[in-house]
Amino acid sequence: MHRGPAPLPQINSHSIWENSMGFSPGLITQKEDKTLMSIIKEVGLPNRPPALSREEGRDLSERVPPPRSCSPVIGSPPVRAIPIGTPPKQPMSQVHNQQNNHPSAIHVRASVPLRYPPPFPERLSPNHILSIANSPLSHPPFPAGVGPVLSQLQRAQLLNSQFPRGPAPPLLQGGVGGFRPFFGQSGPRMGPHGPPLGHVPIRHNTTHLHPQHRRMLNQRMQNRGLGDHVGGRGVGDRKNRDPYGNLMTQREKEWVARIQMMQLQSTDPYLDDYYYQNYYEKMEKRQERDRDNRKEHTTKLITPQVAKLEHTYRPVQFAGSLGKLTVSSVNNPRKMIDAVVTTRSDDEEKREKQVWNKRRQILYTVEKMYSLLLEVQDFEKKFLQTPEHQRDALLEQHKTHTLQLYNSLREKEWDDRVSDEQCLMIMSVRKGKRLISRLLPFLPQPQAAAVVMGIARNLPALAKKDKQDQVLCWLVEPVTAVIQSMSSTSLTDLLQELQGSEGQLPLVLQNKFGVTLLYLILSEGERMQSSDPNCQLMDDNRWTELVFSVTRELLKVPSSALSSPLFTPPNLVSLFSRYVDRQRLELLQEKLQITALSR
Amino acid sequence: MNYMPGTASLIEDIDKKHLVLLRDGRTLIGILRSIDQFANLVLHQTVERIHVGKKFGDIPRGIFVVRGENVVLLGEVDLDKECDQILQRVSIEEILEEQRTEQQAKQESERLKLQAVKERGLSIPKADTLDDF
Repeated sequence: MHRGPAPLPQINSHSIWENSMGFSPGLITQKEDKTLMSIIKEVGLPNRPPALSREEGRDLSERVPPPRSCSPVIGSPPVRAIPIGTPPKQPMSQVHNQQNNHPSAIHVRASVPLRYPPPFPERLSPNHILSIANSPLSHPPFPAGVGPVLSQLQRAQLLNSQFPRGPAPPLLQGGVGGFRPFFGQSGPRMGPHGPPLGHVPIRHNTTHLHPQHRRMLNQRMQNRGLGDHVGGRGVGDRKNRDPYGNLMTQREKEWVARIQMMQLQSTDPYLDDYYYQNYYEKMEKRQERDRDNRKEHTTKLITPQVAKLEHTYRPVQFAGSLGKLTVSSVNNPRKMIDAVVTTRSDDEEKREKQVWNKRRQILYTVEKMYSLLLEVQDFEKKFLQTPEHQRDALLEQHKTHTLQLYNSLREKEWDDRVSDEQCLMIMSVRKGKRLISRLLPFLPQPQAAAVVMGIARNLPALAKKDKQDQVLCWLVEPVTAVIQSMSSTSLTDLLQELQGSEGQLPLVLQNKFGVTLLYLILSEGERMQSSDPNCQLMDDNRWTELVFSVTRELLKVPSSALSSPLFTPPNLVSLFSRYVDRQRLELLQEKLQITALSR
Repeated sequence: MNYMPGTASLIEDIDKKHLVLLRDGRTLIGILRSIDQFANLVLHQTVERIHVGKKFGDIPRGIFVVRGENVVLLGEVDLDKECDQILQRVSIEEILEEQRTEQQAKQESERLKLQAVKERGLSIPKADTLDDF
């Protein structure tokens, strides 16, 4: 009794994938439609197994699943698309390659003009790239100066054949040009498959290489080519004698190579391949500098724009049904088991974990700030690349990012004060210190000054936490820049913060960064005084008093407790000469020199 | 034959003798016969080589299929340079014995170190409390 219905649903499930013509939509385009139609009229559609339905004598149309109301993809994509991991079958002629993938399709005769190569089938599997794109490969590609022929949209249409599209993209010469994203420029043609000793170098995708890189490679290949001719023979002999040699056929090797090439396609090389791009850019700049304006070297990287496509998966729904199907697939995973996490609580373990959790939290905050920081840093580059009308929006975005960065350092109640707790937390981690040092140049002046004040205020605590890492000195450069742009009042404030509570200064002096910071402040004050006689530094007595206390401390502190700075600014002597008498000045000089020498 | 200029690929290494270091510390030497996109390897006439000090011993293993994620590194063996070695080759039993002794000695020294540190009231920071860059 069950013999009958079985094959019919099978046919029906095929119909899910094919249109009513019985073809998969991926195979034909609108233009091909007419030619195919003529063939079909000639040949006729294949016969559905008529015997079964006639035998049963009942209408099995009620078994047909109701028409779909949305996505044609049920669960996983069809298996007949060759997934990327499949090893290639035995070599067969390329014309039949496609057709074997769609067993239910009509075997179209070779009279279909190959001028209109069909768009790519469901997946861009390696076999297909070369077999379909064979024709474009065989004639010389465009010269380097020509930009992409297809617009972004057309290319997206070209690549996206996961779902049947209405008007298929025109694939004339544009189609040929569209293949350019995948295959490189001048290079020897692809050799024929088959002869294992056919040592014709296969032209693979070299477009993605930076032009500088390609030049280097060509040079290297030339050198090797010269040297190889002699040694080539010996290797060949050895290979001939190896009975297990060539277990991996030429075709399989190419297949792996093609997959690896596909992995190199990128929509945003500056994002995916940041270090590579920057390295070669730097190399080019260096060469330009050395060789002085030879125009051929200033090549801009022409990156093929592979369109990034978003496939939104919507689970299949049947029209007129209640509820949804429960289908679990690659696109739409479902929870299978209830895994409950139980934590054992030992008291000591708990405490340790708490400490570690806090640290993790800090690292997490730091990392989030880093991604913001990277956006801010890349802003310039992006700005140059975006078209005019989008620049305002980008600028706005940039400002919000910077603001966000600063906000994460701040206390919520106070407007301009940098939160000590936050600051301390972030700076207790090495990564955090690095972050702050990179962040400071991007903050506007008042905010940067606030950060530096915060650092000065908490210097003893920071110094203590830095004992293991010893990386506070990363901050010297950015802090210098900030100090040099500070006003006299804020400078005085800074000095005050540094001295802070009783006993802070000696602690500051013990730390290398602390001493350096102090010297920087004093040196800047001195510069202000000597360059601008009207400067406000001397308006109130604060500056003078602060410097007095500093000198007192410097003299009081034993040399062993005085750490040597990273560098000693030259104008300190003139500074001290304003405030102290000769005897003390000499003592100071001795001390400072001692510290300078004991570096 | 230049398959992928500017990239690292194992295709040109096929049918050559290679030394493969695995994540569990084993060293395999064999002829690389086949690869795939995950760098899974098929090694032919494989030999597992155990090194202790200046001695080494080979255990013949046959054909190995190694999952790519477990490989630390691999490199081609220069057949000419392989002959003149400073290392001394010994039998399998001997090398296994040597390995056992070495491991025991290492465990002993670890234990002593830990004890000494504990006595002084210090603590060695665990790897996870240290900062990563």
